[in-house]
Amino acid sequence: MSIIGITGGKGGTGKSTVATALAYELAKEYNVLLVDADVDCPNDHLLLGIKRCKVKAVMQRIPIFDLKKCSRCGLCSKACRNNAVVSIKGKYPLLMQPQCNGCGACFFKCPSDAISWGEKEIGRIYSGKNHNINLLSGELAVNEPVSELVVNSLNKIMETKKKQYDFVVIDTAAGTHCPVITALEKCDKVIAVTEPTPLGAHDLKLILDLLKHMGKETRVIVNRSDIGEIRIVKNLLKKYRLGISKKIRFSKKILESYSKGTPIKLDLTGIIGES
Amino acid sequence: MKTITVLSGKGGVGKSSITASLAVAMSKENKIICADCDVDASNLALVLGVKEKDYSEWKDISTNQKVRFDLDKCGSCRKCVDNCYFNAIDWINNRPRLREYSCEGCGVCEMLCPQNAISPYQVKNAKLGHSRTRFGFDVVSAQLKMGESGSGKVVSEVRSLAAKSPADIVLVDAAAGIGCPVIASVVGSDYIIAVTEPSPSAFSDLKRALRLASHFRIPCGIIVNKFDLNKSQTGKILRFARRSKIDVLAKIPYDKSFTYALVNLEPLIVYDRSYTSMFHEIRDKVKQNIGL
Repeated sequence: MSIIGITGGKGGTGKSTVATALAYELAKEYNVLLVDADVDCPNDHLLLGIKRCKVKAVMQRIPIFDLKKCSRCGLCSKACRNNAVVSIKGKYPLLMQPQCNGCGACFFKCPSDAISWGEKEIGRIYSGKNHNINLLSGELAVNEPVSELVVNSLNKIMETKKKQYDFVVIDTAAGTHCPVITALEKCDKVIAVTEPTPLGAHDLKLILDLLKHMGKETRVIVNRSDIGEIRIVKNLLKKYRLGISKKIRFSKKILESYSKGTPIKLDLTGIIGES
Repeated sequence: MKTITVLSGKGGVGKSSITASLAVAMSKENKIICADCDVDASNLALVLGVKEKDYSEWKDISTNQKVRFDLDKCGSCRKCVDNCYFNAIDWINNRPRLREYSCEGCGVCEMLCPQNAISPYQVKNAKLGHSRTRFGFDVVSAQLKMGESGSGKVVSEVRSLAAKSPADIVLVDAAAGIGCPVIASVVGSDYIIAVTEPSPSAFSDLKRALRLASHFRIPCGIIVNKFDLNKSQTGKILRFARRSKIDVLAKIPYDKSFTYALVNLEPLIVYDRSYTSMFHEIRDKVKQNIGL
């Protein structure tokens, strides 16, 4: 069993295109689980023409204040570093729900035992299947900030199911921080997808630094390799002693299949097979 | 001072290219400042032709705390591990070890430790800088350091530095997605420009981004980039806009000039003068909407 992460730093470089194409190719011979960990904007189901079914809701705990017990001391508000508990002197505390990340600082600080736990839904996990690919897809609720909690939930489900599969492909969000790191933590190998522009290279550098720090075996794919200046990417990769594993040329055909929800045929298995 | 935020949900649809060109167009009539709020991977300054060395000042900022364990004092009670909601503490050889990537700096472990073995420290989690573009306006940027968290609070720092300038308009370039850093970019904005392209993915992400805008009751307009790549999908977006009573500010054709402008580190409006009137039109529509 091998877990392969698809990331890149910059948005719109073709992460989902590569993730679905790789899963599609592997699924011809193997049992494949594709995990869409871009929980802010999950798209893999659209690219594969999958209608998703809800598996579970991702809940986050939130404090509930028992005003009969509350002594209005204000310590809960002082303990909260996310400014989620507002307390005006002499008044009862007020929870700003979207800011609350469930840490529990208010709960533990309260001297009157006036706080208990409730919960709120911050996202959902879906599943579906098409082209012999099993998809697990996470989706953050709108106006909820903590994307990584939904990614964490995906990771947990993936851990329990991974034994059934030969390959797990994890598609991450754009960016280089919390939700991306959480998605990459479990990966054995990582493919970074970039484009030959100064922006692509700038963000690729950030993600390569991160992957080096995390000790992940890394491959690089340059998408739309013929539009821009490939030299910019090559020069950067020299510093990391990496080569370009695959160049994908711009093609209207790829764009068309992308729009129609059919996977793209790219010969990618060679990339993950290299040692 | 009015704040206009450019977002998209999906990445790579042309947010930064469009923000940069709109900034140049707006700067001809108003005093403006740009705020690059994609602190995960900041690109706006690059699109405006600003290089690292051009920054007048970079300073480390701290919006986050983490903790240190004094293992000599540790009584191995496990309270810190068992009560960390973010699973940020590993238990190894009967002692705690912090998983730094996961620590949110909430302070619960420190509060619960009976031995006072846990102490907080401020993390310098980002650098914040500003620079003058060659178009006469400033751009404020920040970059979250590798493996650090707290992007939402860093975005707030970028916006508050931009708000200190005597500009009429702050143009905010948001990150991809709709999570923490994007929410921090949107809060308190006067107008939102949502950039999209004609693909089912970008359309789905656009709708999620617009729900965020409507949650905060901020008026918005849509720009459809690369509209000619899939005309039936563009039709869907336009019908959606009409139904939702959202202005379509512009339809921009697919053009390799976007990429070549980036490679040349110039805003599109400067690289290819034929885009001047289009961006002036967008500017005028946006200004009308915010009463400038």
